[in-house]
Amino acid sequence: MSTLRTNTFTCVRCGLTVTLSGPDGARRNHCPSCLHSQHVTDHVEGGPSDCLSRMTPIAIAVLRTSDWMVIHRCTRCDELTSNPVSPDDNHLILMRMAVRPLAQPPFPLEVFGEV
Amino acid sequence: MARRHARSVRPQRRKERAHALPGERGDAFRCVGCRLDVPMAAPGTAHRNHCPHCLSSLHVDRRVPGDRASGCRGRMAALGLSVRQNGEWLLIHHCLTCGELSANRIAGDDNALALLRIAVRPLSDSRVPVRAMLTL
Repeated sequence: MSTLRTNTFTCVRCGLTVTLSGPDGARRNHCPSCLHSQHVTDHVEGGPSDCLSRMTPIAIAVLRTSDWMVIHRCTRCDELTSNPVSPDDNHLILMRMAVRPLAQPPFPLEVFGEV
Repeated sequence: MARRHARSVRPQRRKERAHALPGERGDAFRCVGCRLDVPMAAPGTAHRNHCPHCLSSLHVDRRVPGDRASGCRGRMAALGLSVRQNGEWLLIHHCLTCGELSANRIAGDDNALALLRIAVRPLSDSRVPVRAMLTL
Protein backbone atom coordinates (compact mmCIF):
# COMPACT_ATOMS: atom_id res chain seq x y z
CA MET A 1 0.00 0.00 0.00
CA SER A 2 1.43 3.36 -0.97
CA THR A 3 0.07 5.31 1.90
CA LEU A 4 2.93 7.59 2.82
CA ARG A 5 2.52 10.39 0.35
CA THR A 6 -1.18 10.50 -0.33
CA ASN A 7 -2.85 9.44 2.92
CA THR A 8 -5.00 7.07 0.92
CA PHE A 9 -4.92 3.38 0.13
CA THR A 10 -6.46 1.30 -2.61
CA CYS A 11 -8.75 -1.52 -1.55
CA VAL A 12 -7.24 -4.87 -2.55
CA ARG A 13 -10.66 -6.26 -3.42
CA CYS A 14 -12.80 -3.57 -4.99
CA GLY A 15 -10.10 -1.07 -5.93
CA LEU A 16 -11.75 1.86 -4.17
CA THR A 17 -9.37 4.64 -3.17
CA VAL A 18 -9.95 5.18 0.55
CA THR A 19 -8.66 7.94 2.80
CA LEU A 20 -6.69 6.69 5.77
CA SER A 21 -8.65 8.63 8.36
CA GLY A 22 -12.35 8.02 8.77
CA PRO A 23 -15.05 10.64 9.32
CA ASP A 24 -14.54 10.46 13.09
CA GLY A 25 -10.79 11.00 12.72
CA ALA A 26 -9.90 7.41 13.57
CA ARG A 27 -7.39 5.65 11.35
CA ARG A 28 -9.15 3.05 9.27
CA ASN A 29 -7.81 -0.25 8.11
CA HIS A 30 -10.58 -1.67 5.95
CA CYS A 31 -12.46 -0.53 2.90
CA PRO A 32 -15.76 1.13 3.86
CA SER A 33 -17.45 -0.22 0.75
CA CYS A 34 -16.65 -3.93 0.79
CA LEU A 35 -15.13 -4.09 4.32
CA HIS A 36 -12.14 -6.08 3.09
CA SER A 37 -8.74 -5.42 4.60
CA GLN A 38 -5.12 -6.32 3.97
CA HIS A 39 -2.88 -8.41 6.19
CA VAL A 40 -0.09 -6.01 7.06
CA THR A 41 0.61 -6.63 10.77
CA ASP A 42 1.52 -9.96 12.34
CA HIS A 43 -0.50 -10.32 15.52
CA VAL A 44 1.15 -13.46 16.83
CA GLU A 45 4.75 -12.33 16.53
CA GLY A 46 4.10 -8.60 16.47
CA GLY A 47 5.47 -6.16 13.91
CA PRO A 48 4.79 -6.04 10.18
CA SER A 49 3.67 -9.12 8.31
CA ASP A 50 5.00 -10.19 4.92
CA CYS A 51 1.74 -11.90 4.00
CA LEU A 52 -0.01 -8.86 2.45
CA SER A 53 -3.01 -10.94 1.44
CA ARG A 54 -6.63 -9.94 1.40
CA MET A 55 -8.59 -10.26 4.64
CA THR A 56 -12.30 -10.96 4.40
CA PRO A 57 -14.79 -9.87 7.07
CA ILE A 58 -16.26 -12.97 8.73
CA ALA A 59 -18.03 -11.83 11.88
CA ILE A 60 -19.39 -9.00 13.98
CA ALA A 61 -18.44 -8.77 17.63
CA VAL A 62 -20.04 -6.45 20.15
CA LEU A 63 -17.95 -4.98 22.93
CA ARG A 64 -19.30 -4.17 26.39
CA THR A 65 -19.50 -0.57 25.27
CA SER A 66 -21.93 -1.78 22.55
CA ASP A 67 -19.44 -0.78 19.87
CA TRP A 68 -19.27 -3.09 16.89
CA MET A 69 -16.03 -4.71 15.79
CA VAL A 70 -15.41 -6.44 12.47
CA ILE A 71 -13.50 -9.72 12.66
CA HIS A 72 -11.28 -10.21 9.62
CA ARG A 73 -9.70 -13.45 8.49
CA CYS A 74 -6.73 -13.58 6.15
CA THR A 75 -7.53 -15.59 3.03
CA ARG A 76 -4.00 -16.92 2.82
CA CYS A 77 -2.78 -17.65 6.35
CA ASP A 78 -6.08 -17.65 8.31
CA GLU A 79 -4.94 -15.05 10.81
CA LEU A 80 -7.74 -13.22 12.63
CA THR A 81 -7.92 -9.53 13.51
CA SER A 82 -10.62 -7.37 15.00
CA ASN A 83 -11.12 -3.77 14.01
CA PRO A 84 -13.61 -1.12 15.11
CA VAL A 85 -16.41 -0.21 12.75
CA SER A 86 -16.19 3.17 11.08
CA PRO A 87 -19.37 5.30 10.80
CA ASP A 88 -19.32 5.23 7.01
CA ASP A 89 -18.87 1.48 6.68
CA ASN A 90 -21.31 -0.31 4.43
CA HIS A 91 -24.24 -1.00 6.74
CA LEU A 92 -25.77 -3.53 4.41
CA ILE A 93 -22.74 -5.79 4.65
CA LEU A 94 -22.46 -5.23 8.39
CA MET A 95 -26.09 -6.14 8.90
CA ARG A 96 -25.79 -9.17 6.64
CA MET A 97 -22.96 -10.50 8.75
CA ALA A 98 -24.85 -9.79 11.96
CA VAL A 99 -27.98 -11.71 10.96
CA ARG A 100 -26.15 -14.50 9.16
CA PRO A 101 -25.94 -16.86 12.19
CA LEU A 102 -29.67 -16.49 12.80
CA ALA A 103 -30.47 -17.22 9.18
CA GLN A 104 -28.67 -20.57 9.28
CA PRO A 105 -29.09 -21.90 12.82
CA PRO A 106 -27.63 -25.35 13.60
CA PHE A 107 -30.54 -26.04 15.94
CA PRO A 108 -34.24 -25.10 15.70
CA LEU A 109 -34.90 -21.63 17.03
CA GLU A 110 -38.57 -22.29 17.77
CA VAL A 111 -37.84 -23.62 21.24
CA PHE A 112 -36.46 -20.22 22.22
CA GLY A 113 -39.78 -18.54 21.60
CA GLU A 114 -40.85 -19.21 25.16
CA VAL A 115 -37.54 -18.31 26.81
CA MET B 1 -29.06 -31.63 18.80
CA ALA B 2 -28.95 -32.80 15.23
CA ARG B 3 -26.88 -30.98 12.65
CA ARG B 4 -29.12 -29.61 9.99
CA HIS B 5 -26.37 -29.33 7.40
CA ALA B 6 -25.15 -32.88 7.61
CA ARG B 7 -24.81 -33.21 3.84
CA SER B 8 -21.92 -30.76 3.69
CA VAL B 9 -19.76 -32.18 6.44
CA ARG B 10 -16.31 -30.71 6.35
CA PRO B 11 -13.52 -33.10 7.29
CA GLN B 12 -11.43 -32.10 10.26
CA ARG B 13 -7.89 -31.00 9.72
CA ARG B 14 -5.36 -33.54 10.97
CA LYS B 15 -3.77 -32.38 14.17
CA GLU B 16 -1.32 -33.81 16.62
CA ARG B 17 -3.24 -34.96 19.66
CA ALA B 18 -1.62 -33.00 22.44
CA HIS B 19 -4.52 -32.76 24.82
CA ALA B 20 -2.70 -33.59 27.98
CA LEU B 21 -1.05 -30.62 29.59
CA PRO B 22 1.75 -31.56 32.01
CA GLY B 23 0.24 -33.12 35.12
CA GLU B 24 -3.09 -33.99 33.52
CA ARG B 25 -4.54 -37.25 32.26
CA GLY B 26 -5.77 -35.75 29.03
CA ASP B 27 -9.29 -37.15 28.83
CA ALA B 28 -10.96 -34.19 30.54
CA PHE B 29 -10.30 -30.59 31.44
CA ARG B 30 -11.73 -28.16 33.94
CA CYS B 31 -13.23 -25.02 32.48
CA VAL B 32 -11.46 -21.85 33.55
CA GLY B 33 -14.70 -19.89 33.36
CA CYS B 34 -17.26 -21.96 35.25
CA ARG B 35 -15.06 -24.77 36.72
CA LEU B 36 -17.12 -27.44 34.99
CA ASP B 37 -15.34 -30.76 34.45
CA VAL B 38 -15.56 -31.35 30.71
CA PRO B 39 -14.76 -34.69 29.08
CA MET B 40 -12.72 -34.49 25.88
CA ALA B 41 -15.10 -36.69 23.90
CA ALA B 42 -17.70 -34.46 22.29
CA PRO B 43 -20.43 -35.10 19.74
CA GLY B 44 -19.77 -33.37 16.47
CA THR B 45 -16.10 -32.58 16.96
CA ALA B 46 -12.94 -34.52 17.59
CA HIS B 47 -11.17 -31.57 19.15
CA ARG B 48 -13.10 -30.02 21.96
CA ASN B 49 -11.52 -26.71 22.81
CA HIS B 50 -14.15 -24.83 24.74
CA CYS B 51 -16.51 -25.45 27.61
CA PRO B 52 -19.96 -26.57 26.40
CA HIS B 53 -21.64 -24.71 29.24
CA CYS B 54 -20.09 -21.24 29.32
CA LEU B 55 -18.17 -21.45 25.97
CA SER B 56 -14.91 -20.26 27.55
CA SER B 57 -11.63 -21.58 26.28
CA LEU B 58 -7.99 -21.50 27.33
CA HIS B 59 -5.22 -19.88 25.31
CA VAL B 60 -2.82 -22.79 24.80
CA ASP B 61 -2.22 -22.88 21.05
CA ARG B 62 -0.09 -20.43 19.19
CA ARG B 63 -0.41 -20.38 15.43
CA VAL B 64 -1.35 -23.94 14.56
CA PRO B 65 -4.36 -25.55 16.31
CA GLY B 66 -3.13 -28.20 18.71
CA ASP B 67 0.48 -27.05 18.90
CA ARG B 68 0.18 -26.09 22.62
CA ALA B 69 3.00 -23.60 22.03
CA SER B 70 1.52 -20.54 23.64
CA GLY B 71 2.82 -19.53 27.03
CA CYS B 72 -0.16 -17.28 27.67
CA ARG B 73 -2.64 -19.69 29.33
CA GLY B 74 -5.15 -16.86 29.50
CA ARG B 75 -8.88 -17.31 29.55
CA MET B 76 -10.55 -16.93 26.17
CA ALA B 77 -14.10 -15.65 26.16
CA ALA B 78 -16.56 -16.08 23.30
CA LEU B 79 -16.70 -12.81 21.39
CA GLY B 80 -18.77 -13.41 18.30
CA LEU B 81 -20.14 -15.91 15.84
CA SER B 82 -19.17 -16.47 12.25
CA VAL B 83 -20.79 -18.72 9.67
CA ARG B 84 -18.98 -20.81 7.09
CA GLN B 85 -20.22 -21.18 3.55
CA ASN B 86 -21.86 -24.49 4.44
CA GLY B 87 -23.79 -22.94 7.31
CA GLU B 88 -21.58 -24.19 10.10
CA TRP B 89 -21.16 -21.87 13.05
CA LEU B 90 -17.76 -20.82 14.30
CA LEU B 91 -17.17 -19.26 17.68
CA ILE B 92 -14.69 -16.39 17.74
CA HIS B 93 -12.73 -16.53 20.98
CA HIS B 94 -10.85 -13.58 22.36
CA CYS B 95 -8.04 -14.01 24.88
CA LEU B 96 -8.68 -11.80 27.89
CA THR B 97 -4.98 -11.73 28.76
CA CYS B 98 -3.24 -10.98 25.47
CA GLY B 99 -6.06 -10.14 23.05
CA GLU B 100 -5.39 -12.96 20.61
CA LEU B 101 -8.33 -14.19 18.52
CA SER B 102 -9.18 -17.71 17.40
CA ALA B 103 -12.05 -19.31 15.52
CA ASN B 104 -13.41 -22.66 16.69
CA ARG B 105 -16.20 -24.89 15.45
CA ILE B 106 -19.11 -25.30 17.81
CA ALA B 107 -19.72 -28.76 19.22
CA GLY B 108 -22.97 -30.69 19.23
CA ASP B 109 -23.52 -30.28 22.97
CA ASP B 110 -22.69 -26.59 23.25
CA ASN B 111 -25.11 -24.52 25.29
CA ALA B 112 -27.66 -23.38 22.72
CA LEU B 113 -28.88 -20.51 24.87
CA ALA B 114 -25.37 -19.13 25.29
CA LEU B 115 -24.76 -19.47 21.55
CA LEU B 116 -27.97 -17.67 20.74
CA ARG B 117 -27.19 -14.85 23.16
CA ILE B 118 -23.97 -14.22 21.26
CA ALA B 119 -25.79 -14.46 17.93
CA VAL B 120 -28.41 -11.84 18.80
CA ARG B 121 -26.01 -9.50 20.61
CA PRO B 122 -25.38 -7.27 17.54
CA LEU B 123 -29.12 -6.90 17.03
CA SER B 124 -30.04 -6.29 20.64
CA ASP B 125 -28.69 -2.78 21.07
CA SER B 126 -31.20 -0.06 20.37
CA ARG B 127 -29.23 2.12 18.01
CA VAL B 128 -31.19 3.64 15.16
CA PRO B 129 -29.32 2.19 12.16
CA VAL B 130 -30.11 -1.35 13.26
CA ARG B 131 -33.84 -0.64 13.24
CA ALA B 132 -33.59 1.12 9.91
CA MET B 133 -31.79 -1.79 8.31
CA LEU B 134 -34.22 -4.34 9.70
CA THR B 135 -37.06 -2.62 7.91
CA LEU B 136 -35.39 -3.21 4.55
